[in-house]
Amino acid sequence: MNPLESLRLAWRSIRGHKLRSALTMLGIVIGIAAVIAFVTLGASLQAGIIGDISPDDQRNLYGWAADEDTEGGPLAGAQPVFSQHDLDEVRDLEEVEAAYGYASIQTQAVSDGDEQVAQGDGLIAAGPSYIREGDLREGRQFEMGEREAVINPAAAEQFDDPVSVGDELTLTILGGQTTTIEVVGITDTSEGLSPFEGFEASPRIYVPTDPYYAEQAAGLGVGDGGGGDENEGGDGDGDTNDGARYLAIVVEAHSTDDADIDGARDAATAYLESDESDASELMGDGHTVTMQTSTELLQQLQDILDLLQNFIVGIAAISLLVGSIGIANIMLVSVTERTREIGIMKAVGAQNRDVLGLFLTESIVLGVVGAIFGTALGLAAGYLGAWYIDLPLVYPLEYVALAIAVGILVGVLAGLYPAWRAARTDPIDALRYE
Amino acid sequence: MSNTGPEPGSGSGSGSETGSGSGTGPGTGPTTKTTTGGETAVSLSNVRKTYHLGEPVHALDGVSLEIPRGSYTAIMGPSGSGKSTLMHLVGCLDTPTEGEITVGGQAVTELSGRERTELRGTEVGFVFQTFNLMPRLTALENVALPQLFQGIGAGERTDRARELLERVGLGDRGDHRPNELSGGQRQRVAVARALVNDPEIVLADEPTGNLDTETGEQILSLFEDLYASGHTIVMVTHEPHVAQRAERIVHLLDGEIERIEELEGVGPETGSGTATSDAAEMETETDAEPVGNGSTNEDDTGTGPDR
Repeated sequence: MNPLESLRLAWRSIRGHKLRSALTMLGIVIGIAAVIAFVTLGASLQAGIIGDISPDDQRNLYGWAADEDTEGGPLAGAQPVFSQHDLDEVRDLEEVEAAYGYASIQTQAVSDGDEQVAQGDGLIAAGPSYIREGDLREGRQFEMGEREAVINPAAAEQFDDPVSVGDELTLTILGGQTTTIEVVGITDTSEGLSPFEGFEASPRIYVPTDPYYAEQAAGLGVGDGGGGDENEGGDGDGDTNDGARYLAIVVEAHSTDDADIDGARDAATAYLESDESDASELMGDGHTVTMQTSTELLQQLQDILDLLQNFIVGIAAISLLVGSIGIANIMLVSVTERTREIGIMKAVGAQNRDVLGLFLTESIVLGVVGAIFGTALGLAAGYLGAWYIDLPLVYPLEYVALAIAVGILVGVLAGLYPAWRAARTDPIDALRYE
Repeated sequence: MSNTGPEPGSGSGSGSETGSGSGTGPGTGPTTKTTTGGETAVSLSNVRKTYHLGEPVHALDGVSLEIPRGSYTAIMGPSGSGKSTLMHLVGCLDTPTEGEITVGGQAVTELSGRERTELRGTEVGFVFQTFNLMPRLTALENVALPQLFQGIGAGERTDRARELLERVGLGDRGDHRPNELSGGQRQRVAVARALVNDPEIVLADEPTGNLDTETGEQILSLFEDLYASGHTIVMVTHEPHVAQRAERIVHLLDGEIERIEELEGVGPETGSGTATSDAAEMETETDAEPVGNGSTNEDDTGTGPDR
C-alpha cells in the first residue's frame, strides 16, 4: 500500500479520536517543549553574554589569587594579595602591555549638587584602559592619579537632571568619608565591562585605583593615611601604597593572539607566584594565581549553563519516555479496539505489512504532530523568556529538526510492538471478535 | 439418496433433513447442470482440517468438492458441521491440515502467506452476516478498500467503486458512512465491495441473517442478479428458504459432505414461494449418472471418504 494512503487513513483514525489523540500527544508535547524552550533560552543567554565581550576585551587577562581547590566563577575564594609594587612589576614585564589593580569600593551614596541617591556598590576602581575607547559614548577615559570618573548611562540617569560630562559628583564612601569626582566620560552600555562585574545592567561609576582605592585602604586604617596628592605619579613609590592590597589584577597582553595572551599569562603568573613578589608573602600554601580571559571565564559560566541544560534535557527525556509509553499504550488499546477492522482489512486482501504500516504510521503521526506542537510551544516559551529578560533572539533551527526526528523515533519505537501485534492478528479470530 | 447410500448413518440423516426442507423425491432423471463452461472456480480434494483442542477435532474430515465457475452453491448444515471452516478454507483465510484446495487455478496449500493474501484479495469477495464495513469510511471508500490493498490509484478506485454502487442501487449513497445506512443498504455496500476486484468467487456467510425478510429478499435477488451475470457464488446459510434459491445445496454434517442437492429453476425468474416447491420437485439427486459429468468429484466427495 502506498505510504501516502497509509498516512491518509492514519490521519483519519487519529481525527476520529481527537481528545484521546491530544492527550496521548501531551507527553511528547511537554517533553519537546521543555527541551526547545531551554535550548532557545540557553542559546539566547549565551549570545547575550558573548555579544557583550568586545573583541578588544579578548586580550585582557583577569587574575586573582585563591586556594587552588576553589571552584567557581571569577574571584571565587580570592584574597587581597597584590600590592601596587606587584602591579608595577607586572606592568614592566616584557610580555605585558599594561597591568592594573581592580577593586570594588563600598559606598553609601553619590550626590550631584543637592540631589543625593543611595549607591551601595558600583564604584569600581581600575586602570584607565579598563574603559576601552570603543565603550565610550562621550568624553574620554579617566587618568590615573586624577579625581576623575567615567560613569555608565544607568548611573547618569539616576538623577532627575541626568549627569553629563564635566559635572562634579560627591561620593560618600562607606565609613562616612566624602570625596569628589569629575565625570570625564560616559559609557555606551550599562552592562558590566568585565566578568569581574557580572554582566547585568546596573549603575556603575569607574574611577582610577589611585587615588580612590588607596584612599579607601587608608581610610580603613591601613597604610600611611596620607592624602591623595602624594600619590600622584603612581609609579615607583610603592611604599606609599603599601597598605593597598588588591583582590584582583587585570593584565593586558600585546594582542589578542593566543601566543601573546599565553605569554603574558605565563610571565605574570610566574612573577606573582615567585618569591620576589609581595603577593607571594601573603599567599598561603596551596594558593595559586588564576589568570583567565573573559572567554575562558565565561566558559565556566557556560559549563554551568550546560549542566543545567543537560539536567532539563534529562527531565525532558523522562517526559518523552512517559510520552512514548502513552503512545504505545493507546496504540495497543487501538489495536484491540479495531481487531474487527483489522480482520476486515485482511479479509479483503490487506497484507501484514499493510496493517503494520497503517498502525506504525498512526503512531509516527502522533509522535510527529506532538513534536511539532511541542516545538511551537517551546519556541514561544523560549522567546517569551528571552524577550522578558532582554536577550537577543536566537533560532536554534537544528534543534527543531532534531525535535521532529525525535518525534518520528518515538512514534516508531512506541508503535512497533502494537503494529506488529495488529499485523499478526489472525483474520478469522478478528472477524469473530465482538 | 443413492449418493448417501454407502453410508447408512448419513443416509438416515439426509432423509430426515430432506423431509423437512425439500423433498428429495426419486430423481427426475439426469439433469443438465447449469454450469457455465464447466470450468472450475474452486476445487477441494480430500480436505481435512484438524484442530487440537485437548484431543484432535476434525472440523472437516475428508471433503472433496468442485465449484464450477458461474455456479450458485449453498452450503447448509447444523452448527459445528464445518460450514465456517469450509468457508475460511475456500476464502483462503485458512489452510487445510491435509488435502488440496485450488482457487482460481492456484493451489492454495502451495502458496506463502503473502501469496495467499494476494489470492484472497483478488479472487475472493466476502459478504458477511454482520456486513463488516469499516465504520469510519464512507460507502464509496468501503467499496474501494480492497483495491487500495492492490495498489490501485485513487481515481481508478473511486470510479470503479461508484460504478459498483450504482449496480447495487446505491449510487446516491456513496458519501454516507455505514451508520447512516440501513441494514439492507449496508449489505449492498458489502456486496459491491466483494465484487470490486472482479473475484473468481463471491463467498457469502449468512448474508441475510441480520436482515428482515423483505430486505433479505432484496439481497437474495441481488445475488441472483450476480449469478445471472456469471459470478460464482457460494453462500453459507442455515435457512432452507435461502438455500433453495441456489443452484445446488451442499449439506454438511460433522465435517463431511452428507449429500449434495441439485436444484433446478434457479434465478430471479423462478421467483419465490411456489417456485421453491417447484424447485423441490424438480430437484435432482446426483445419482450415479452425473458421475460422468463435471460434477463427478462432488459425488465422490460425498461418499468418497472412507468414513
